[in-house]
This record gives sequence, structure tokens and C-alpha cells, in this order.
Amino acid sequence: MIRFQGTANTLGLLFCGTMTASMSHEIKNALAIVNENAGLLDDLILLSEKGRPLNPERLKTLAGDIRRQVQRADSIVGRLNRFAHSAGQPVTTTDIKEILEFTAALAARMAAMKGVTITVADTTILLQARPFIVENLLWLCLKHLFAMSTGNQTVQLGAESADSHVVIGIQFDEGVAVEEIGKLVTQEGQPLIVALQADVSVDAHRHLIQLTLPKKFEE
Amino acid sequence: MSVQVLLIDDDQDFLNILSERLMIRDMDVTTVSSATEAFTLVESRPFDVIILDLQMPEIDGLQALERFKAINADLQVILLTGHATVAKGVQAMKLGAADVLEKPVDIRVLTEKIKKTQAQTTAGLRGGEQNTTASSSDRGMSGNISRLIQGIQKRFKKN
Repeated sequence: MIRFQGTANTLGLLFCGTMTASMSHEIKNALAIVNENAGLLDDLILLSEKGRPLNPERLKTLAGDIRRQVQRADSIVGRLNRFAHSAGQPVTTTDIKEILEFTAALAARMAAMKGVTITVADTTILLQARPFIVENLLWLCLKHLFAMSTGNQTVQLGAESADSHVVIGIQFDEGVAVEEIGKLVTQEGQPLIVALQADVSVDAHRHLIQLTLPKKFEE
Repeated sequence: MSVQVLLIDDDQDFLNILSERLMIRDMDVTTVSSATEAFTLVESRPFDVIILDLQMPEIDGLQALERFKAINADLQVILLTGHATVAKGVQAMKLGAADVLEKPVDIRVLTEKIKKTQAQTTAGLRGGEQNTTASSSDRGMSGNISRLIQGIQKRFKKN
């Protein structure tokens, strides 16, 4: 496993880069709107100095819009902070649903850009693993789907318990080249698969990729 | 006659607020949230300037720019982006963008660019240079690219 550590870290670095670029872009968009709102306040003040009355309702709406954008940016910063901390997180016991939901939230903007909707099935299974590596492997599946997407697609993340293992299911729409995605994920994600002691399988009939992980991680 | 602006961004809040600010500056602004809607619009009525977000769902800004130029080579497109990179900037200018501006944008800079772009279009049409956008873009390209690169270099020096 040690010989794969370097490449797992490299994949982790790429994952970090992609996610931070996406989140910083989202923050920039929120800031751009705050900037325009502040600018519009300036405009309205200038107009009032020229005789056009200030409408208190309009000002209230603008204040509300600014607050909403600050909340939006704050939520993205919160996600970014959690993600940054997760990179160094050791093996820990986590509810798999938390990992699935967090990965879906991380990928949401990129999914929207590609016309993909990610849903997460309701499930509660405890998994002992490094969450960051699980998220990274899930991201590889989503990344390859996004690259092939022609829009209007959905992908569902779910998990079920199978004795001593957790089986994470990534369910695609009919017509998606699931075998191709599975092949790419297995090749690119090999260091992550090894690090997680996982197994990747493809069920083409059910348009499903399954990641099987041990519930209890053996060092 | 006021400048006819088509504003394209997938963020409805951004569209609303920027269009209001441009309208205060006596511009006639039409907003759409996708490039696909914009393609139909530009085929049915004239616009002096198109302001286009670089990162959008379905069709991104560069693909949309290419399509606009294919519909009408004289269309003037200013790209707005959250993060400008030299590579994307150069690509945009090569595809015939009038300019590439980074968000958050200073309204005075944007207004100036819109007016300048409209003035160039009007001058071009008056001089009988209609449908020669490729050559006029080529003339402006090196200057625009060099300004973009200079801006990025300045930012690096600051940091």
C-alpha cells in the first residue's frame, strides 16, 4: 500500500485543486452580486441627490439581497473549510450518508454546469475509513460522468450494508456509458481503491457502479 | 438612441442587479439566463453589445462566443468571468471577443467598454466595414491580450 501512497496523495492534490477552484469561483460570484448591490445603493443615492426620491422598500430589498449573498458565501466558505480540514483527517468512523451528502455538495456546482442532478438516498451505515479518500473516489466517478454528460441527467448516490462491507452505489441514467466510467475510475483511482481496501464493480444492466469497502478498516 | 445590451448570465440575482445598474445609465438591457435563449434572440433583433458570462451550464461562454460570431460576425461580445486566466483570455480574444473583464467588475469600466465597443461598431458600419470583424478583431487583439497579460502580471507582483 505504501507504494501507492504517493499517487494517492497526487490524486488528493488534484481533487483539492478542482474543488477549491470551483468553490472560490462560487464565492467570487456571490461577491460580484454584493458588489453590484453596493453599487446600486450608490446609484440610488446619487439619483436622490438629483431629486429622485429614495424608495425605502427598494432599500430594504437591497439590504435583504446583500444579506442573502453573504449567507451564500458564508455557506460556501464553511464547506471549503470542512473540505480543507478533511484532507488531513485520519481513519475515522463516519455515517456514510454524511460522506455521500458532502461529496454531492462539493460537486453540485460542476454538476449543474453539466446539466446533472445529484441525489443522495437516505441511508445510515457506519464506515471506518479516511472520508477524504472515499470522497475522492466518488468524485472520480462523478467527474467522468460530467465529462460524458450531454445534459438532463441524474445520478443517485446510495449505500447498503453487506455483512462486513458497505456497498456504495452510484446509479446512473439509462444510456450512460457506465462500463466506460467504471473502467476509467478503476484505472485512475487505483491508488485510492488500494488505500481504501475497496473493490469497484460495474453492473451495466442496472447502470450502476458499486464501490465495496470494509466497514472496519484494517491498518 | 440608447445602447442595446444583451446580458447573459445563469445567476438570476446577478442579471437583475447589473441590468438595473446599466438601465440607470440609459442603456436598453435584455437579460437571458442561458446562451441557448440568447441565440434565438440575436437572430431576431439587433444588439450593440452582448455581455456574456464565461462559465455557464450547458454551453460555456467560449462556445457561445463562437456561435454568436457564426450567427453574425459583427456581434460585439464582452466576456465576464469569475477568474480570468491568460489562456482563456487569449482564446476569447482569438475567437473575436471585444474584451474580457473579471468579476466583480467596476461599473464605470464596464460602461466605458460598452460605449467604446458600440462606438467602434458604429464607426465600422459608417466606414463600410461591415462583415470585416475578423480583420478588425485581429487589429485589436494584440492590444487586448497584452493588456490582459499586463493586468495579470501586475496582480502577481502585488501578491
